[in-house]
Amino acid sequence: MSESAGKSFLWNGRAVRFQPGETVAAALRRAGVTAFGSAAGGQQGRYFCGIGACQGCLVSPAEGMPFEACLTLARPGMVLGPVLPAEGPGA
Amino acid sequence: MSACDVLIVGGGPAGLAASVAAARAGLSVLLAEQRPRLGGAILRRALDGGPPRMAVPVRHLRAWERLEAERCRLGERIRLMCETVFLGVDGAGRFLLEDRAAGRVKAIRPRGVVFAVGAVERVLPRPGWELPGVLTAGGMQLGLKETGEIPDGSVLIAGSGPLPLVLAAQLVAAGRLPVAVLERGQPIGTGLRHPLLAARAMASWPHLIEGAAAMARLVRFGVPWHGGWAVRSVRQAGEGLEVHATDAAGRERLYHVRHLVLHDGLRPNVTGLPATEAAGVPVLRAGDCRDVLGADAAVLDGARAGELLVRRIADPAVPEGPLPAGLGAARRLQDAFTALCAFTAPPIPPETVLCRCEGRDRVTLDALGTDPGARTVRLIGRFGMGLCQGRFCADTVSEFGGFAPGALAGTAPRWPLRPVSVAALAALDVTDSDEPGVGQDAANGQSC
Repeated sequence: MSESAGKSFLWNGRAVRFQPGETVAAALRRAGVTAFGSAAGGQQGRYFCGIGACQGCLVSPAEGMPFEACLTLARPGMVLGPVLPAEGPGA
Repeated sequence: MSACDVLIVGGGPAGLAASVAAARAGLSVLLAEQRPRLGGAILRRALDGGPPRMAVPVRHLRAWERLEAERCRLGERIRLMCETVFLGVDGAGRFLLEDRAAGRVKAIRPRGVVFAVGAVERVLPRPGWELPGVLTAGGMQLGLKETGEIPDGSVLIAGSGPLPLVLAAQLVAAGRLPVAVLERGQPIGTGLRHPLLAARAMASWPHLIEGAAAMARLVRFGVPWHGGWAVRSVRQAGEGLEVHATDAAGRERLYHVRHLVLHDGLRPNVTGLPATEAAGVPVLRAGDCRDVLGADAAVLDGARAGELLVRRIADPAVPEGPLPAGLGAARRLQDAFTALCAFTAPPIPPETVLCRCEGRDRVTLDALGTDPGARTVRLIGRFGMGLCQGRFCADTVSEFGGFAPGALAGTAPRWPLRPVSVAALAALDVTDSDEPGVGQDAANGQSC
């Protein structure tokens, strides 16, 4: 956990580094994370439109509401995961 | 009761031009922007707040600098709220804005509102378009503007119109050669057969030079551009995507890439926005949010909307009046581009996901019977009921269902438009609006 104190957040328990001012989606994509885990209707969370319109890149913080990874700035120590738990309702 | 006369939603060229126009007339303006910084998609700043990390035509930068100088001159009359999204209008006629940074929802009652929330890309459904690794041209371009970086792996660009071509050239400039650019239409053949149409599409020197430079760069670096080719299906293959493309003659190509960029056009981003008024407050749309004409026209249109709103606030019956000549010319140019790149969309196979939000496919839609009507398609089929509210399926679903695209959304907007916590809604901040975002502006280097 100590590296999350610097410029990184946790994605599924893995530390992902980011640059100041960068969105969560940009950091995940640089880290090679294309699939953002379980989403509604058996879909995978993913980056698509980049402007908050498609709602496809929603991710869940450990506490609080899901948010669009493409709009939200990465902050040190964020603990993030898929918008649905892994065993969520499938298609 | 509200501390601002005018609410402008969207901090791109149109929103900023509208803010400046209203503030010049002496009204106080609240400018809400969903990103941490102003600029919109066209002038997406780099991470450090500097200019975009990618060549943006100089005329757009100049126009933006002029607007920013005006905003600074007008001082306190234009106040910014960044990282703030429009949620809807509540039963008491209050416009709800969520300040995401503070986790608070503000309720305000402006005397007039301009929405300038830009365009949304059109992407036609085909099997596999919902997979991770498939993204829009705008989505790819925004990342490039912010960081100057492209995620690792090969890129295929497919779709229609000027944006895929421009994006391809931008990727080349950033050091990544796309595998190919596939254009659905056949603009060169069409242009040769219809020289008048070609002449109309080339009537704007800045656009002509931009397009020619992009094409020249692709040729110079050997990036293939294929007219008349479309991506028909996509499947996951290992870490990447297997992309199947065909042309009108039935020839096939198979690509193996990491990223597939799709773009079949643009349309105004109007989902969930009131049209002309809400709770008795006059509402206008400006820029690409009214008509997708690009950034040059957005500056003109924003100023037009800002000035019109000032007059509507004084007298709601003021007619819209004719559009400035520059907007008419921009519309004719877009029409010519569209006609040049005209294409016939191939049939959509039954297993194709139409609703990206909830994975509803064509089989599900067909099971609703013939002519089910918009209400059944929405309430029983759940098309258009996902989080994007039909932005990416309404066109296709309405075509199959034989109703107007707008009908899928129903008669009343579905607010809130974005995910928001019940706690934030319950703790609604109605006193609001006296101290929006001052600290944020400074933090984002946007103070004057």
